[in-house]
Amino acid sequence: MEATTRNPSWLRTNGWLLLLLALLILFPFIVGALTDSSPYGVPRGDRMIMRGESVRWQSVLIEVYILAILAMSYNLLFGFTGVISFGHALFFGTSSYLFGLALEFTDLDTGLAIVLGALAGILVCGLLGLLIGLVTLRLKGVYFAIFTLAVAEMFYIFFGRWQLTRAEDGFAISELPTWLDPTQSRLNYYYIALALVVLTFLFIRRLVKSPTGAVFQAIRENEDRAQSLGYNTLNYKLFSIVIAAMLAGVAGLLQVMLNKKVGPELVSVGYTVDPLLMTIIGGVGTLGGPIVGAAGLHLLDIFFRDRELVLGAVTIDIANIWALLLGVIFILVVIVFPYGVIGTWKRWQARALRRQ
Amino acid sequence: MSRTNRSSLIAILVIIGGLVAVAFVNSSSLGNFGITLLSGLFQGMLLFLVASGLSIIFGLMDVLNFAQGAYFMVGAYVAYDAQHAGGLIDLTQAIPDPNLRFPIAVLIAMIVGALLGIILERGLLRPLYARPIYQLVLTFGVALVMAEIIKFLWTTTPYSWTEVFGVRDSFFELFGQRFSTYRLFVVGMGIALIVLIALLLRRSRIGIIIRAGVEDREMVQALGINVQTVFTLVFTLGCAIAALGGAVAAPFLGASTTLGDIFLLQAIAVVVLGGMGSYEGTAIGSIMVGLAVAVAQDAAIGTSFSALPSITPMLLLVLVLLLRPSGLFGNAR
Repeated sequence: MEATTRNPSWLRTNGWLLLLLALLILFPFIVGALTDSSPYGVPRGDRMIMRGESVRWQSVLIEVYILAILAMSYNLLFGFTGVISFGHALFFGTSSYLFGLALEFTDLDTGLAIVLGALAGILVCGLLGLLIGLVTLRLKGVYFAIFTLAVAEMFYIFFGRWQLTRAEDGFAISELPTWLDPTQSRLNYYYIALALVVLTFLFIRRLVKSPTGAVFQAIRENEDRAQSLGYNTLNYKLFSIVIAAMLAGVAGLLQVMLNKKVGPELVSVGYTVDPLLMTIIGGVGTLGGPIVGAAGLHLLDIFFRDRELVLGAVTIDIANIWALLLGVIFILVVIVFPYGVIGTWKRWQARALRRQ
Repeated sequence: MSRTNRSSLIAILVIIGGLVAVAFVNSSSLGNFGITLLSGLFQGMLLFLVASGLSIIFGLMDVLNFAQGAYFMVGAYVAYDAQHAGGLIDLTQAIPDPNLRFPIAVLIAMIVGALLGIILERGLLRPLYARPIYQLVLTFGVALVMAEIIKFLWTTTPYSWTEVFGVRDSFFELFGQRFSTYRLFVVGMGIALIVLIALLLRRSRIGIIIRAGVEDREMVQALGINVQTVFTLVFTLGCAIAALGGAVAAPFLGASTTLGDIFLLQAIAVVVLGGMGSYEGTAIGSIMVGLAVAVAQDAAIGTSFSALPSITPMLLLVLVLLLRPSGLFGNAR
């Protein structure tokens, strides 16, 4: 193995990742110490008020983690298997709606409702992915993109008009146990989200480097050839879709619990564009790319959210044109920067090695 | 007639017959039945204007233009803006007669659509012909940008058409029911366009090249025809027709930011159920989906299931795909 001879120790290849992980684990306390704020929030009576820089930054990072899981799931499909979905929000929103319905509209005990709702959400996502895949994947690749877009849009319209879930307004989730509730114990939630990102990353890395993952990449490169080598490519593609859909469902669950609100915006096109853009910016078909993209794009969004752009006499709120800027970034990246941050870096590295 | 053709013909007749029957049973009077049918044809024709471009562009260039709905929306906004006072393009001073201003407004909308089409094909898609999956991603991004630019120029508040002009506001009476002449006018125009494009494809030299390109792009190129120019032409034409659709729809539907998504979704249903790249399929599929939506709208009145019309195209699509997996006239490999 070439890779092992060049990087002999396990620690050297994974050292950077471990260091980053340690930094992220300590992050709430570091910010807390730097800004003199408690990572647990401010106690008032027997409840906690989420106030202070540390708590605020925790929620920013939790959002990054959620988007990172979503983008990683997107990348498994788009980057590693070469199947493009224009409706990833479908899975994100479906699991969150099922979770919300289980919690707020059934008589189940809270703990049981959380477990059942989460399981049902994730399983139904997998099932939806399987169904859409079964209908479309025998046809040209574009059919899957069309179907996911159309079904997502249909769900968006449906949830926006469904009277039971209060149509466009959506509904709030009131009962979450204190240890999980991000408005009570955000630090716990921060670690849960972090753990899920790490698990997703390890899982996808394991999957991609397995023989199954090799077939995924063979399908991406040349499906006919993979088929003629005797692989049933349909089954592999379906497997990839089901896994990606379930992971997107997990991200949806995290989002619902963070905001404690379920609404049709969770199925909106924004949650399809975000992972797509983050994957491309970070690097399509690279392991770290989606995480880099999610962190970069979301932090940029936070940074610009309440700034103004002054063009001569005209002042424009960046928040108002953020979607436009995002779209322009989208087009520019697709045309001039298609390998993304990690992809470009790897190519540059490979070129430097060749020159040596 | 081959067997596949006969079976799709039967499917078409069954579905259209079923829809008409449902419309007939559902409506209280002959007049209401007529309104449902006319409204279905009207929507079918608008859909055709979006879907025909989508279908031909896909057949020829293997690019599914996800921005086609956005061109429809641009057409609606530009036509609205040109027709009414106080917009970006104010024609009320130059052409005081609203009846004369409307065709001009439609023409401006088409020109804007065509220009934006050239920009997209020449400037953005052409560098990506080596990476087809990115073309798909790109058109998706362009649709977003166009929607955002529209929101920036015209805000998110929907506009409803207020200008009164001749053909839009006149009615004719049949079975004791008033019918809008404008709808009939749009239906007539749609049928004329179906015939015109069919003639263009079947009888003209450029049409022969386009059809040959749909069959085998490389062979056409090998025969010494500049396929790139044909691509640009078809793409531009497709975008201009979508904008035309938006412009003629604006007097009825107004201009709003959800227009693009709605029509893109329905047009996609049309193209897939008609069979990707098939012109006949698109024409028949448009009428089918339009009728289905009108019937669903009629059925949803007074019930709590107000989302029915918007999910009808997808339901119909699933039905057709179950009967014929590659669409009515399709050859989806």
